[in-house]
Amino acid sequence: MAQGLALPASSVLFAFVVGGLIVLATGGNPLVAYQGLVCGGFGAFCTQGENPALQISNTIVFTTPLLMTGVAVALPFRAGLFNIGAEGQLLVGSVACVAIGVRFNSWPAPILLPMVLLGGAAAGALWAGIAGVLKATIGAHEVVTTIMLNYVAQWLVRYLIIGGPLQLRGGYSVSSPIGLGAQLPTLLPQSNSLVIFGLPSSVYRVHAGLLIALAALGIFAFLLWRTSLGYEIRAVGQSQKAARYAGVSVQRTIIVTMLIAGAFAGLSGAVQIAGVDHNLTDKYFSDSTGFDAIAVALLGLGSGIGIILAAGLFGALHAGGSVMQADAGISSSLVGVLQALILFSIAANFLSAIKLRLPGFGRAPRARPPDNPAAAMMTEAAATPPDDGMTVT
Amino acid sequence: MNFVSEIGHLLITSSLWNQALAAAVLLLLPALGGVISERSGVVNIAMEGMMLTGAFFAVVADLAWHNPWLATVVAMTAGGLIALIHAVVSIRFRADQIVSGIAINIFAAGLTVFLLRRIYGIQDVGHIGASDLLPNLDIPGLNQIPFIGHVFFQQNVIVYVALVLLVLIHIVLFRTRLGLRVRAVGEHPQAADTAGINVYLIRYGAVITSGLLSGLAGAFLAIGVSNTFVPNMTDGRGYIALAAMIFGKWTPFGAFVACIIFGLGEAIYANNSIIHVSAYLLSMLPYLLTLIVLAGVVGRSSPPAADGIPYVPGSE
Repeated sequence: MAQGLALPASSVLFAFVVGGLIVLATGGNPLVAYQGLVCGGFGAFCTQGENPALQISNTIVFTTPLLMTGVAVALPFRAGLFNIGAEGQLLVGSVACVAIGVRFNSWPAPILLPMVLLGGAAAGALWAGIAGVLKATIGAHEVVTTIMLNYVAQWLVRYLIIGGPLQLRGGYSVSSPIGLGAQLPTLLPQSNSLVIFGLPSSVYRVHAGLLIALAALGIFAFLLWRTSLGYEIRAVGQSQKAARYAGVSVQRTIIVTMLIAGAFAGLSGAVQIAGVDHNLTDKYFSDSTGFDAIAVALLGLGSGIGIILAAGLFGALHAGGSVMQADAGISSSLVGVLQALILFSIAANFLSAIKLRLPGFGRAPRARPPDNPAAAMMTEAAATPPDDGMTVT
Repeated sequence: MNFVSEIGHLLITSSLWNQALAAAVLLLLPALGGVISERSGVVNIAMEGMMLTGAFFAVVADLAWHNPWLATVVAMTAGGLIALIHAVVSIRFRADQIVSGIAINIFAAGLTVFLLRRIYGIQDVGHIGASDLLPNLDIPGLNQIPFIGHVFFQQNVIVYVALVLLVLIHIVLFRTRLGLRVRAVGEHPQAADTAGINVYLIRYGAVITSGLLSGLAGAFLAIGVSNTFVPNMTDGRGYIALAAMIFGKWTPFGAFVACIIFGLGEAIYANNSIIHVSAYLLSMLPYLLTLIVLAGVVGRSSPPAADGIPYVPGSE
């Protein structure tokens, strides 16, 4: 376990050190910046009297969609597929949720809520399924197809709520709100008189989507390790050729994996609408949850517990960013910089690479097997011969 | 006027092609960078981030020194430095090149806004005066040629640069020893290494060149086409360039054709009175077209054989 934590922990450390240097170089105080970040993310070391419980509640709200999109990236990783389309899948999930939730807005929750959530999951599955089918049948590289699908989804959202059919009449780049029956309840009662941790309970936005997200993680772990489909997914990820000899249909596995992954991402988009926003806004034009998810899956080393820890970290960074900006005057976009640095570090495995070089200093590095999850997963896939469908076409 | 006759009429107006060419060049520069990088075997999905970085530093430098040429050099340098990160991470540390590319894009989006706030606070960056922009330049004599003159010889200075680079890169890539080496490294680095080619050097050079070109495109966007910087102002153009590279089957002129198609679509939309489709729907077209190409409808296009695979000396 300690061994498993070394890479993620050192990557986070690396990111914070380099990020601190960037703050320092531009005339800021990194300690003050990070104090704001920690306050906003975890409710600790606050200077402006922030309420710790509220900060943690905010972090959980940010973490919730990352859990599901994290799964949407981590599951295909296991099959040697790189789903960088979680963002597009999330967006079409949100769109489906809004479309259904507005169209049937008077329907009761027991019917409408499952409809919007399943609708979102189905839309996400469909979106990822396009990439899955193209990969399995023609060999089109899923990285490229999912990038294209991301942008198609993004422009679709812009179209729908700016002059398109979902735009709220008289509103600018917002959709109509979904019906009450399509909304996920918050976990604490929405009361102004009930006081919890010094604040009225209505300020805490943690919603039932958290339970859905945790259930999604349970399904992910069960599916991967306790079902024959999970075995097939892992087999295909290890070696398509070997999987084929073992009687696994590689094509079918690729398509099914992408469908399931897309469903998780689409569900997360639907949950975000149903639990937090209740309508599509221009905020969704620049949403980056699906890209954060890549970092979550990599940092979490593709395991359920790892995804929880990594999603929690990124949720805290996002929640902390705004407090850092308000308290320390450091732009919250530093969070993006930190996240990129974590990605660089975990992908390149800087620290262990340096450590490995030290003994034989000055000598050419020995050929060694890739020792980080992304590289291992990807070279496995990339090393398969072209007839296994890995060529970009 | 019916649809066919209006579009037909548009297609024979020189101003449409003039606009289409300018729009195409904005995509062509990063696409050429992508071609060079991927021909050497390094997957590059980071043109978006490199271009954004270039755009930001072009504006910062131009506002500070009121010199668009110096600003362009600064933008290219910034693009090159960002590309150097991608190169070090994916060549030296053999990281997954897609992860590194994503990280570059996130890094650039975060860093530009972070620096924007550090330098200019919460105010707007401010606008660059007309005299400090990259100028339009008519080529004397040639600009008098009917039609052709308006399309090709009454353009922004960067358009000429880009067209020269297009031809130059095509020649270098397919007619010189350096180009042969780049392609050899991208197709079979082991064999290239055996033949005495420095695989790492070629790949570093190719990736950094892609950064220089994307930085140049960023400068053209920020202080040529536009006159200010706004967060995320590239708005997916780096990814359209990626699409153009694939569309054009990893060749300079193929990518150019794709850019012209995308640019022409943009120009037709801007000038017609008949198509009432939302601009947002139309913005999907480059991505949808690329998906169709990827689906094999318009013939297969395959990347260089060793694209995306880190080179480990002595491995097979």
